[in-house]
Amino acid sequence: MVFLSVVNFIRCRGPDEIWRKRKIFKIASHFIGRRRNCYSVAVRNVHRALVYGSKARYLKKDDMKNLWDTRITAACEQHNITAYTLREGLDRANIMLDRKSLSDLASWEPRTFESLAAVAKEKLRLDGFIDTTDKNEPTGRDLDLSNIFLNGLKETK
Amino acid sequence: MSAAKRVQQWATFARTWHIFDCKWQDPYQSANVIKKYLMGLHKPIYHPMNDCGDVVVCINSREIALRGDEWRKRAYFHHTGYPGGASWTLAWELHNKDPTMIIKKAVYKSMKGNLQRRHTMERLFIYPGEEIPDDVMQNVSNQIRQQRLVPQRLDHIPEDEVQQYPKVMEYPSDYVLK
Repeated sequence: MVFLSVVNFIRCRGPDEIWRKRKIFKIASHFIGRRRNCYSVAVRNVHRALVYGSKARYLKKDDMKNLWDTRITAACEQHNITAYTLREGLDRANIMLDRKSLSDLASWEPRTFESLAAVAKEKLRLDGFIDTTDKNEPTGRDLDLSNIFLNGLKETK
Repeated sequence: MSAAKRVQQWATFARTWHIFDCKWQDPYQSANVIKKYLMGLHKPIYHPMNDCGDVVVCINSREIALRGDEWRKRAYFHHTGYPGGASWTLAWELHNKDPTMIIKKAVYKSMKGNLQRRHTMERLFIYPGEEIPDDVMQNVSNQIRQQRLVPQRLDHIPEDEVQQYPKVMEYPSDYVLK
């Protein structure tokens, strides 16, 4: 197509219009109705969908964190210790397990989690730590830890 | 037994039946406890899409205790859908009509409104008194701890215990009690 005047160039978006639209239509391929068939509607919805997608990447992390917290709280309740106390005890004992590992241990290796709760309790007892949230001595499982190497716990933080 | 079957724990996914005595309990606080067991929030395998909730049987729902003057002040709203169809029922009126309704609504409201909520509520059994059908009672294997101590009423203390209780003084025989 040959344009003799400059004005007509404004209308012309180049020969690759179909490819430009195709990119949008490919993203909109799973939409319903005009949102996938009409470009002017599709492009608006694609932009919105991409924004949602960006936000969801952060929300997904938040959701997983909430789920792990719920699971850890549930597991802590079984061993008569609060999640806060467990976290504090493990931190002081230099056991750096994150939420994901703790919740995995709670569901897949309950005995390991029980030992962790006992270690946390023992560490807080050695430190003389009193839970400020409920103003109580740290509770938790009384496992027999006499055979376990706990010398590292004796050093106060 | 194969290595994979050795660690298979079917009991993890079993539905446990819990019993909860509502006597002298605040329904709105105990709803949060009941909700936890109904939704399975007390299990480390919890997931919103995982059907791991338990069954809760509430007894003595007629004996619940509301705080302050909530019996007279708290109103339950209902709308028939027609113009002028709104109605407000006070808590004591609702309790007289149906002694299970307050605890049921409290548990229902404590849960997030989603498609799962009505199915979760199906697993909640509420009985106004202590009588439970045998087919329900035979499944119960756990009791949920009550939130509050149930106080003993002064007029329910046995007579001989009252007599034996140490006294500061005896009233004179001619003393007139107000």
